[in-house]
Amino acid sequence: MTDVPEREEGIPGATASRTAPPPPHGASSPAGTRSRRPRPALIAVFAYTLRACVPARRRAVLVLPTLAAVAFGLLSQATGDPAPQAFSSVAGLALFGLIVPLACLVLGDAVLGAEVRAGTLAFTWLAPVPFPVIVVGRWLAGWAAAVGSLVPAAVAGAVAAGAPESAGPAVAGVVAGSAAYIAVFVMIGCTVRRAAVWSLALVFLVERLLGAALTGIAQLSPTWESQAVFNGYAEGTFDQVRDGIPQGGDAIVRLALITAVTLAVASWRLAHLRLSGAGD
Amino acid sequence: MKHAAPAPPAAGAVAPPPPATPDPALADGATVTVAAASVWFGAKVALSEVTCSFGPGVTGLLGPNGAGKTTLMRAMTGAMPVNSGAVRVIGRDPRTERSVQHSIALVPEDEAVPPMLSARGLVGYVADLHGVTDRGAVDRSLAAVGMLDAADRRVGGFSKGMRQRTKVAAALVTDPQVLVLDEPLNGADPVQRLALIELFARLGAAGRTVIVSSHVLHEVERLADRVIVLLHGRLAAAGGHRAIRDAMADRPRQVFVRSGEARALGAALLGLESTAGVTLADGTLVVATSRAGELAHALPRLARQVGARLEEVRPVDDSLEAMFRELTR
Repeated sequence: MTDVPEREEGIPGATASRTAPPPPHGASSPAGTRSRRPRPALIAVFAYTLRACVPARRRAVLVLPTLAAVAFGLLSQATGDPAPQAFSSVAGLALFGLIVPLACLVLGDAVLGAEVRAGTLAFTWLAPVPFPVIVVGRWLAGWAAAVGSLVPAAVAGAVAAGAPESAGPAVAGVVAGSAAYIAVFVMIGCTVRRAAVWSLALVFLVERLLGAALTGIAQLSPTWESQAVFNGYAEGTFDQVRDGIPQGGDAIVRLALITAVTLAVASWRLAHLRLSGAGD
Repeated sequence: MKHAAPAPPAAGAVAPPPPATPDPALADGATVTVAAASVWFGAKVALSEVTCSFGPGVTGLLGPNGAGKTTLMRAMTGAMPVNSGAVRVIGRDPRTERSVQHSIALVPEDEAVPPMLSARGLVGYVADLHGVTDRGAVDRSLAAVGMLDAADRRVGGFSKGMRQRTKVAAALVTDPQVLVLDEPLNGADPVQRLALIELFARLGAAGRTVIVSSHVLHEVERLADRVIVLLHGRLAAAGGHRAIRDAMADRPRQVFVRSGEARALGAALLGLESTAGVTLADGTLVVATSRAGELAHALPRLARQVGARLEEVRPVDDSLEAMFRELTR
């Protein structure tokens, strides 16, 4: 059964083989005689994800986090507290508790979960590419889009709050936090069918509700950990520090661990995915 | 399952030891083998112990909606696991061995395409993932399906037929040994259908394993040398579609007869035990029979008896549509 009968190289009238020169019976094409350097799979997946899932005409939406951060930054000036402390208590909370999770949820779902639901993941899944490469490529694209959207938001929010010195810590928090968040949402995207609903439940029920009450959950929460990154580096955040949660660089390590574990789980889940069509 | 088996030896003849009858569900030089594969979703059984194989050439995978064609095709490509049994592509498990994807390509039935990409972008992406090094491969695969002129347009704006052809191009660019096409002719206009049928036939003639499912049965009759019929998740028949039809000789069939003495011939035919009914209209007969072989022998004799000249005799339901109707009856 496993003997492979001989066949003509290249698809008649269609294309040529992967490695061999184009077949003599193939459609004549001067270009067919030249070799093509395919992009590495990781780069191809990354570029495809950015183009297909974060298309150009929707990139204007990436400005929304900046507008929201500026609004919260201006709002923090109304508290009467010193600017760094006001930014931490108002804009910081809004940034890490609302803007970062929601932006990452939208992007994280777009880079994988939406494709699973739409049925277009088949173009990637049915390729001889290791699953970790697919997952990492998509995560990198989502992270790049998140960083491109959230870093300006962090800087603009700090400036609008009158605390430009808090911009650096805020950027560190959103960069590390968005890496973990995108990984978590990629994992959810290839685990459950209604990824957006489960992601919202994770953010608002598990992280905000349970995480506010239980330090154990907060220690595994990108929201709390990314805010801990900010708290560790920024001034005037003493009232935001929670016992039992590492701050600054330690929180970055914690977020890196969350990222690595969730990406590993996502790769495993992707390998066991049951690909169905959009209509199924 | 109905097999297109050879005719038994004549009664009374000394029959030599019967050779092992080849199972028509199994192909020579198989590249894809399905062994007792079952797939279920909760309480719904999509495939039930299906055993068949596919080799070079074009094989039609036929069955009504819900028969399990798409599930079988997805199982072949590894996109869907089987709950029991096994699927092998060139001797390897497509579900666990990623290298199998170098050898097989699926054109899924649904219209899903990344809407923001151009046709060339999509085909190029697939070429990148498969490590295609031939620079002309992308354009040639687009040209093969008549999509080169629209190659730089976004696939989100394509018609259903154009999307299907773009997906076929994306499959062709990987130069697969096994091409699995789930309703690839959906939405294509007649000219495009003809071109695609010719393309698939050329691929089959070139030694590729081409597996095509379609509801456009007369086109599959023209396209496929071999047919696998699924019904309710089970293998219902296999072989050439005419052979399958002949193997179902004990099922009711209808035969059209044109004769100058239609009324007299019809009366004589009603005397046959195998005749289930005769319809007379405009000097023609449609004879319903449960044993077409007997009718074929008796018809010339009866025509001579009543002095009728047979002007035309042909089965009226020798199509795959009729086969489906009978199998699902």
